[in-house]
Amino acid sequence: MAYGKKETEKKQEHHEHHGHTEEHFKEKHLMLDPLPRGVMNDMVMEAVTEKPSWKWWATVIFMGATVAYCLVYSWYVLIAEGVGVAGVNRPSYWGIFLVNTVFWIGISHAGTFISAILRVFRAEFRRPFTRVAELMTTFGLVQAGFSIFMHMGRVWLAYWLMPYPNQRMLWPNFHSPLSWDLLAITTYLLSSTMYLFLPLIPDLAMARDKTTGWRKNFYRILALGFRGTEGEWTHLRNAMNIFAFAIIPVMFSVHTIVSWDFAAAMRPGWNSTIFGPYFVIGALHSGMGAAVVVLAAVRKFIKNMDYFIRAEHFDAIGKLMLIISMGWAYFFFNDYMVQWYGGDKWTKQLLHFHEAGPLGWMWFLMLIVNIAIPWAILWNPKWRSTPWLVSIVGILINVGMWLERYIIIPISLTINRMPFTWRQYTPGIEIPLGIGTLVLFILLYVIFAKLIPMIPVWEVQEGQMAHQLKKFGRETVVQVSELE
Amino acid sequence: MAESKSKKSPGVLAVFGDLDPTANAIEQLRKLGVSDDCMYVVSGVPVTEAMLGRPPQHSNVPRVAMGGAILGFSAASFLAFIAPYWYPYPIQVSTQAFVPWPPTFVILFELTMLGMLLSTFLAVFLDSFFPNYRPMQYVPEVSDGKYAVIVDCAHVEESKIKDLLKKLGAESIKPAEAQQL
Repeated sequence: MAYGKKETEKKQEHHEHHGHTEEHFKEKHLMLDPLPRGVMNDMVMEAVTEKPSWKWWATVIFMGATVAYCLVYSWYVLIAEGVGVAGVNRPSYWGIFLVNTVFWIGISHAGTFISAILRVFRAEFRRPFTRVAELMTTFGLVQAGFSIFMHMGRVWLAYWLMPYPNQRMLWPNFHSPLSWDLLAITTYLLSSTMYLFLPLIPDLAMARDKTTGWRKNFYRILALGFRGTEGEWTHLRNAMNIFAFAIIPVMFSVHTIVSWDFAAAMRPGWNSTIFGPYFVIGALHSGMGAAVVVLAAVRKFIKNMDYFIRAEHFDAIGKLMLIISMGWAYFFFNDYMVQWYGGDKWTKQLLHFHEAGPLGWMWFLMLIVNIAIPWAILWNPKWRSTPWLVSIVGILINVGMWLERYIIIPISLTINRMPFTWRQYTPGIEIPLGIGTLVLFILLYVIFAKLIPMIPVWEVQEGQMAHQLKKFGRETVVQVSELE
Repeated sequence: MAESKSKKSPGVLAVFGDLDPTANAIEQLRKLGVSDDCMYVVSGVPVTEAMLGRPPQHSNVPRVAMGGAILGFSAASFLAFIAPYWYPYPIQVSTQAFVPWPPTFVILFELTMLGMLLSTFLAVFLDSFFPNYRPMQYVPEVSDGKYAVIVDCAHVEESKIKDLLKKLGAESIKPAEAQQL
């Protein structure tokens, strides 16, 4: 009898424990905590259609004014006065405009990494935030495009880059990495915008069904008449698979080609065979850092997003950030070691200038925020699951990666093989223009959050359908079925 | 195919709450004599043909993508190999060949990928008849996770189809009239 009672208690305890485990899994994993689709739709659409508060309007007006002054007016001044108002001059002909170009292209890599690479590898945690990341790619590339046009100065002559029969019968030079840039960035911008739009179509159709008035018309036009027939889903699935696989090499090619703008020149510090992968890993480093900041902001400032974006997502991105930080450190050291060992007089001079020159603090700060801080914080699962902490790390990584590009471009251009030309670069109008691109990037997010569903609800539901808890012996584990 | 027939008669639209009864309904409809061409499913989440027990959907997307890649490659080949010789003032860069392979590879790669991705995007529009703003057979409940089975079959009595669908757990059954989305 006593034995029987004990057994019953044990069983009860076990059931309680099992129930507790299930609750724990549900609380932790979005994929195991399904809500009816209609409820999820309502949560997402409430965030989109809710009347903006005065704080939202104040933010938009402030940012709009900043963009108007820093980007529009300053660019007008740059065009009206000429590139003399910028700080670029001999020997640093490339300044912050190109630093920002490389920086924004780097940011754009996170979208493809999260959406395409994680889709290909069936990383389930990606589902709720693929759109937030894809938007980053498109918005980042817009800023990169602006920055490179600013660098051009006479932006109205940009069409000279295009291969066309010009009046002097000269053929645009495909030998130049700058013409490869044009092709690669154009390909990437178009591809990433299409890749953003395709999975958005079903959510636009959902928004069409959930709204009235001007919004209904807006979504009706954008949803293109999507209903969700078997054929439509099949075409969409095929296209998204092709995009996911094809956009990855395009992403790698873009930043590799950007690195060749530097590496193809016989300059100290630039002429490196490892610059391609070094730039790609750097792009992923800053991109993932930016992605985690945007994700934390979306979770904090947009209604109902704490259901979709949870600690598990910060934990997963935090792990990726840690691995990428290690990869960046490896490539940095590899590049540094070979340049240092080579013993070339000018390269040694340049490396000394990086570390002990007037801007040597940038070099050390870069290493601290790109390596030391991420390693010190992201190894800990609890810390990397804390949104505010991991987003501070993300911001610091971006500061570090911006400094890295500043060191590679204007600082490295200061030292060349003609010492009589050495002169430190001091930025001019580049500063407001750079601020303008940053604010425009944030403003685009703020506006788009009120226009399109930021969460791909159908992808979340698809993931939730594929997940279940299963018992193996006494252990409850997560089981994922491959539905796609 | 069912969509084109719907112009003659509205057909039947049944809404199901879950995937299993939907797949079951399709199987039973087939037994009743409704062919696969006479029905289709509308859902708010992608479900494969295998899950629904439906024949595989034909998609031109991969073929069009391949065509786009070939077109992009051809355009790049033209720009890289042919166009430079048409100009009276060729630009010689250092000791590089007039049409050197490494940069040409970059041009070939980028334009091939651009051609492929643009045509993939276009193929979705062509295959799905996007954009299409005409009235169509649809129920907004689909967005909320329901499954709609639309049947338009002239040779099987509509009342039999309705009875069967009701028996199989359809939440609602109505005429599949085209409506403005």
